[in-house]
Amino acid sequence: MKLLTHNMLTSHVKGVTKGYPLLIKAIEVKVNEVEFNPTFVSRMIPKLEWSALVQAAEELGHRQDLPSELVADYENNEDFLKKVHRAMLEVEVIEGCLQCPESGREFPISKGIPNMLLNEEEV
Amino acid sequence: MMEQAATQLEREHVHSVYDKIAPYFNDSRYKAWPKVRQFLLDLEPGSIVADIGCGNGKYLHINKDVFKLGCDVCRPLVDYAWSQGHEVQMCNGLQLPYRDGCFDAVLSIAVIHHLSTKERRIRAIREMARTLRVGGCIMIYVWAMEQKRRKFEKQDIFVPWNPNPHSSLGLIKSKRRGTAQSLSEPLDNKEKQRKIRSTSSVADEEDLTCTAPQQKTQRQWFFSRSLDSVFDFGSLSISQSTSRDLSTLTSPTGENEGNRRWRGRGLIKQVSSFFSPSSVIGSEEDVFDPVTDLHKGQNGLRGSNANLDNNNSTENQEVSLSFAQDCGSLPLPDLWSFQKEQSEDNGEGKEQQQQPQQGSRECPQEADGQLDTSCLRYYHVFREGELAELIENHMEELHVKHTYFDHANWFLESVRLAEEKEHQ
Repeated sequence: MKLLTHNMLTSHVKGVTKGYPLLIKAIEVKVNEVEFNPTFVSRMIPKLEWSALVQAAEELGHRQDLPSELVADYENNEDFLKKVHRAMLEVEVIEGCLQCPESGREFPISKGIPNMLLNEEEV
Repeated sequence: MMEQAATQLEREHVHSVYDKIAPYFNDSRYKAWPKVRQFLLDLEPGSIVADIGCGNGKYLHINKDVFKLGCDVCRPLVDYAWSQGHEVQMCNGLQLPYRDGCFDAVLSIAVIHHLSTKERRIRAIREMARTLRVGGCIMIYVWAMEQKRRKFEKQDIFVPWNPNPHSSLGLIKSKRRGTAQSLSEPLDNKEKQRKIRSTSSVADEEDLTCTAPQQKTQRQWFFSRSLDSVFDFGSLSISQSTSRDLSTLTSPTGENEGNRRWRGRGLIKQVSSFFSPSSVIGSEEDVFDPVTDLHKGQNGLRGSNANLDNNNSTENQEVSLSFAQDCGSLPLPDLWSFQKEQSEDNGEGKEQQQQPQQGSRECPQEADGQLDTSCLRYYHVFREGELAELIENHMEELHVKHTYFDHANWFLESVRLAEEKEHQ
């Protein structure tokens, strides 16, 4: 699971209103090289919940001085874009779980795949 | 109650079937639809797309300038998609684990026809709309009831899985008898045989297998009543054999009794008792190729019913099915591109043995009159206009952009509208 994906995921347990962002408890993390496309990254940034990305990167120990706030004029800041690229696309959680911040419910991640299926009671 | 029945039906006749047949999904018969491919290629670079019900992820590699993620309930398929390098999750389309408005585009290709009630189909589309940003587009493909040369006689069907689709090509001439005792919704008689022109560029318009009967294999469909109609007592047109059962449920005292009986697991068994195996499906019209009629052979029917009964007990097959023999030689809507290749290649037809050596559970081959019903996929096939109507009548947040018929499928593209609320 990449952090870009994580940025979209939320807890959807019935009754939960503050299920985002999911906390990450990682057991195995990998960093893979992904081709850097600055245009792609700069277009993706406005779609992110920035603080959730930073928090997730921090939880994995891969924050690497990603700023808490978006820098101005990031489209032209290649250094910055590369950092975002790395956090968003290259860091992957292979094993672990995602935890709902409100209910504590854990969604397992196994072989890189988060299992967000709910049980009958949670629907 | 309905929810439980629906969930059960889908678990048995969608989820677990896909679990079994997943290994077969990666062969060449399942190609990407060109229109879906084009939709993806047309997206602005930097878009985020979700493929809800992505299966083996065959759409997830298209367009490297957009970020794609996929999800499905079927673990083996999701595993495969991941092995191809895609971002995928396990989840159910009725409860999507994505935040509101985070996608620029959403795909739902050949998915919602597996949902067994109208309410669930609406819910699924609504969930997808929720995750779409304003101005984002959703593309939906579902199987059509009316097809180029044939029409499913009912909207709610069980389709046997055939690991070797080319072995079922061929034509059998047989007769079909209509009956007044059909339990299905009445077919629109205007929807007779008509030429529906395909708009896709993939298939060969000079079809394919109908003119070249090579084998005498029968394709068998199982028809069912929709769960919606089962629970709507008022709208039933009932045959004599079942009217007695139903009247005990609809009478005032019967209702209470009925409710008790309908609780829990017993529910589906009760439902199944309404599926009178002897009722013949279909209208009197010949909606098939003029040469062929459908034959509701007594032998075939009895044989299959016996089978079904056996399966009922051994496999806990909870919905017994009305059975009709179909002589259609045309492939299912998801096999079009494969059929095109096959038509060029008739020699291989007879092979029955070839199956990939995969995992533990295999789906048995079809054989005449003997069908293992454990690999039946449930489909609600859509009538013309049904999908658009669903959205127009139930979803204010979506505006239908276009809809058309493409190769035995109804295709629809819709855009997310801004909400008319004070807070945005």
